[in-house]
Amino acid sequence: MRILAVVPAYNEEACIASTITELCQVAPQVDYIIINDGSADRTLDICKERGFNYLNLPVNGGLSAGFRAGMRYAKEHGYDAVVQFDSDGQHRPEYIAPMAQAMVNEGANIVIASRFVTKARGNSPREIGSKLISWLIKTSTGQTITDPTSGMRMYDRGLIETYARSFDFSPEPDTISLLMRRGAKVVEIETEMRERQGGESYLSFYNSIMYMARTCLSLLLFQWFR
Amino acid sequence: MTLVLRILLLIGALFAMGIVINSVRKSKIRISDSVYWVVSAGILVLFALIPQLAYFFSGLFGFMSPANFVLLLVIVLMLIRIFHQSCAISKLTFKVEQLSAELALRDKDSRDEKNLDFVTDLNQRTRV
Repeated sequence: MRILAVVPAYNEEACIASTITELCQVAPQVDYIIINDGSADRTLDICKERGFNYLNLPVNGGLSAGFRAGMRYAKEHGYDAVVQFDSDGQHRPEYIAPMAQAMVNEGANIVIASRFVTKARGNSPREIGSKLISWLIKTSTGQTITDPTSGMRMYDRGLIETYARSFDFSPEPDTISLLMRRGAKVVEIETEMRERQGGESYLSFYNSIMYMARTCLSLLLFQWFR
Repeated sequence: MTLVLRILLLIGALFAMGIVINSVRKSKIRISDSVYWVVSAGILVLFALIPQLAYFFSGLFGFMSPANFVLLLVIVLMLIRIFHQSCAISKLTFKVEQLSAELALRDKDSRDEKNLDFVTDLNQRTRV
């Protein structure tokens, strides 16, 4: 099974080198592609200096545009699965193999690395948002996703194709829910994640509000018509 | 607010909602861009269902009639949208500019490479 880790990077000069080094050491069987999404810092220089495998988007297009570029790369190079992998050091590469295992064994189309399979979520704003999204997904699909906002997900070959070609498909919970309604099988495995290892999060206060508005609206309303 | 205006608001909002949903369905607008339209339609529905809101605000700001307040509200919503639209267009213009420069640079690079190949080719041939 050929697996590609798609690593979107926007202004990640602080973390990108250590993330990729760890990825190559811990999961050498996995290929990777960095998507430099028009970074304004030294991200691109670091990729060049270190001889990393990267796509360079000349202008910033946002996470889903970058991710879809990665999916097109995966499609053109005939990969069997793509794992979405953060460049900030949150995700641990040792879980890629068990995710692939779960995909094969359980015939899943999507495997999510979940932090909350056995652990309960707390009451920080982030975790309350996550609970709300879980609940909305439960009401529309009847299935429970314990960690819908986990950024570490594996997609199978069919979904690589879907992401590469479809309009407004983002690597976000509402798209996962839509895919579930269309019959995709989602499996979660228990994992641990770290805190972001440096750099700045894209989710500012305004962006968080927009993210929740978009996700809730999509789950509550648009998913029934798409 | 007259009953007619309230019904008109309601019908207008629902009609707008229908257009938005249909556009999302047909992949004409991204969901993140549709948030504004759904929220605006929601506000109009709110004013149609609870006219006391319009009475409250027109009293607060000293409008002659609540209907005037609703009209102003619609205008303000539109101005906000138009401004955001202008910002988005500026951003897009900049991105197109950058992309075309990128393409031009690539094109120049590949032409230079070809010329270089041609020159080395010629050198080799003259040497033989």
